[in-house]
Amino acid sequence: MTSPQNRTSRRSFLMTAGTFAAGSLAACEARSADPAAAAQPLRTTGFDRVGLDALSDCVLPDELGLEGRRAATAAFVAWADGYDPVAEEMHGYGYAEIRYLPPDPAPAWRAQLAGLDILARRSRRKRFAELDTTARRDLLAVVLRRERGDRLPAPLAASHIAVALLSHWASSAAAHDLAMGRAVTPLTCRTLNNVTTEPSSLPASRT
Amino acid sequence: MREIETDILIVGSGITAALMALRLSETTTRKITVVEAGGPSTLFADRMQARARYMAYGESPWKQDHLDDQNALGTTWGFSPSMTVGGLAMHWGGVTPRYSPEDFTLRSLYGIGDDWPFTYDELDPFYQEAEERMGVAGEQGPPALDPRGKPYPLPPLPINYNLGILQQWAANAGIAAWSNPSAKNSIARDGRAQCQRCDTCYPVCPTGAKYSPDFTWDALVAAGKVSLLTHTLVRRLQADSRTGRIMRATGNRTDPQGEPVSISARTFVLAGGFVWTPHLLLLSRDASYPEGLANRSGNVGRYLAGHRNVNAYLTLPMQLFPGINVQHSLVSKQFMRPGKQSRYLRHDLRIWESSVGSEPRLRDEHGELLLGNALLADWRNRATATNAGTARVRAYYDVLPHRESRLTLHDATQNRFGDPMPVLSFRDAPESAALRSWQEEQIRELFRRMAKVGNGKIARMENSASDLGQEHPAGGCRMGTDPATSVVDSFGRAHDHENLWVAGAPAQVSASCCNGTLTFVAVGLRTAAAIAKSG
Repeated sequence: MTSPQNRTSRRSFLMTAGTFAAGSLAACEARSADPAAAAQPLRTTGFDRVGLDALSDCVLPDELGLEGRRAATAAFVAWADGYDPVAEEMHGYGYAEIRYLPPDPAPAWRAQLAGLDILARRSRRKRFAELDTTARRDLLAVVLRRERGDRLPAPLAASHIAVALLSHWASSAAAHDLAMGRAVTPLTCRTLNNVTTEPSSLPASRT
Repeated sequence: MREIETDILIVGSGITAALMALRLSETTTRKITVVEAGGPSTLFADRMQARARYMAYGESPWKQDHLDDQNALGTTWGFSPSMTVGGLAMHWGGVTPRYSPEDFTLRSLYGIGDDWPFTYDELDPFYQEAEERMGVAGEQGPPALDPRGKPYPLPPLPINYNLGILQQWAANAGIAAWSNPSAKNSIARDGRAQCQRCDTCYPVCPTGAKYSPDFTWDALVAAGKVSLLTHTLVRRLQADSRTGRIMRATGNRTDPQGEPVSISARTFVLAGGFVWTPHLLLLSRDASYPEGLANRSGNVGRYLAGHRNVNAYLTLPMQLFPGINVQHSLVSKQFMRPGKQSRYLRHDLRIWESSVGSEPRLRDEHGELLLGNALLADWRNRATATNAGTARVRAYYDVLPHRESRLTLHDATQNRFGDPMPVLSFRDAPESAALRSWQEEQIRELFRRMAKVGNGKIARMENSASDLGQEHPAGGCRMGTDPATSVVDSFGRAHDHENLWVAGAPAQVSASCCNGTLTFVAVGLRTAAAIAKSG
């Protein structure tokens, strides 16, 4: 039986898939006129949103609420889809060589998402999304047993989609403020007003 | 062959070049041409988007700001390969301390290093000019520690809530610390916005609150006051073997066609920074000047100077809220002006808020995986602890340059035109090398004392990358009064060529123990004043 929540998620997934198909068509048309681009492999975007939503429900805090977790998941997907593999990295002071960002991590993350489903079927005879939160976390504990823990890696450096999703959310100003319980809103352009006073507590709607 | 005639040719378009060109455009009627190997990078209108992608992915906000085959080798810490209109100051942090008076008289005061051929007081008006042209926001420190002839042009960036607490802690430790001077608009000025504390001053200010040289170039070009020739690499200077005067600069366009370019001028100003300026002089060797131009002393490429640092994170029993204005800091110049000493040590001191120690983590101290509510609870406990605020402290200490601290040509590595690339090898003068371990321990001890005064502890402490190079580097064409031991005179004019001038960083004798850009520009403005007078 599919829960209303998962039906919504499946609809989202199909919409994403539809967007991807349309996007691919547009990309193919553009590429036919651009020989340099034609040499590049097509980049797949999007994720299995049912699986990803199930993952986000067990790695993101309940305090976000369902709406907040879906928003965080959508932001992660948009971020992953917007990635430009092997773009030039910021070079500044400190090193002279030009460095490049890694290849697209999303294919491995998609495979890991599928892997969670396979593992769930083998060990629990259910899909990952059909497990309760405790069972999902038990599986993740097995999968993530070798992940270092002293800090979250940058999302792009995450070796597993669960960590990437978690890290992407945790790097947001909203997550920072939620942890701090204050309206600091770091890494956001805002005026110099009130910088000398103690940051105010978050309104109840944001906690 | 593209041939160009001009009165003043400036090679390079970085921050020193921009403000020298501005001054020259106001003080002479001579035709000014500026040559830049790269092109313009990210337009101002696109910087908010560039910042967003930098924040999201670490992408460079500065597209195509370098030439793939034009780079330095060796100990390049502190060097940037940027070749673009505005140079590396397109992504500088905007931090603008002055050197202290002692920097100019080290030999006289301490019996080590070398004196500069002018004093701090002589540079003061040019420091002021540099601050006014960039728009430096600063707070007057205690006059004995922070001498200056006139007030800062802009009010200081505010000491925010976190820094206010840390300032009191520093005061308890007997350290006077104040708002770090910065070329960032504390109020709207010059058509540029007030600082919006986006916290990405380095590498990109999306609002224009931080000064960058493109603002000056755009205005100068729009007003027709300079000709800016981009995508053109100057590869040689040619001197008249009889008179020593530089006759022309030659090079090539850096587009695929690579058209040769020849530029004749009355005055040549090299403003390519501490790498590309000595590099060009060495490349310009010929039968009459087999060691390169301006190199009768053999000192072109020598005495590369910089500084190193000791950095620490201190856990203190105070509640801070990291993120209010992360890139702004407190500064103290107390240790740059130590008075008489039995052993030499001078360093600056910066203090920042920090989130180190209170970031989210995947496992707790028992190794248990933290997901969902458990992760947030653990993060919240550490982020809101009233007894575990984190301060970051860092001290740059100066390193006196060895004559063998140098740039040479690496014949095996060449650009597309066959020019050997520069290789850098920084080396401490013997007196600096002998003091290094003791100096670093003194700074570590200061940090321990500061932690103790605040009833805190050192969470982490480290020295800067050891032998990769030095920070805020300068030198390579050092100034002096004796042509046998220096490359240029006290105004930056080459001893060997009356119409050749070296601008800013490469002319410096030493590099102090603080960020260098303001001094590079002030020295360059002093050179520009001399060029205008030279007729």
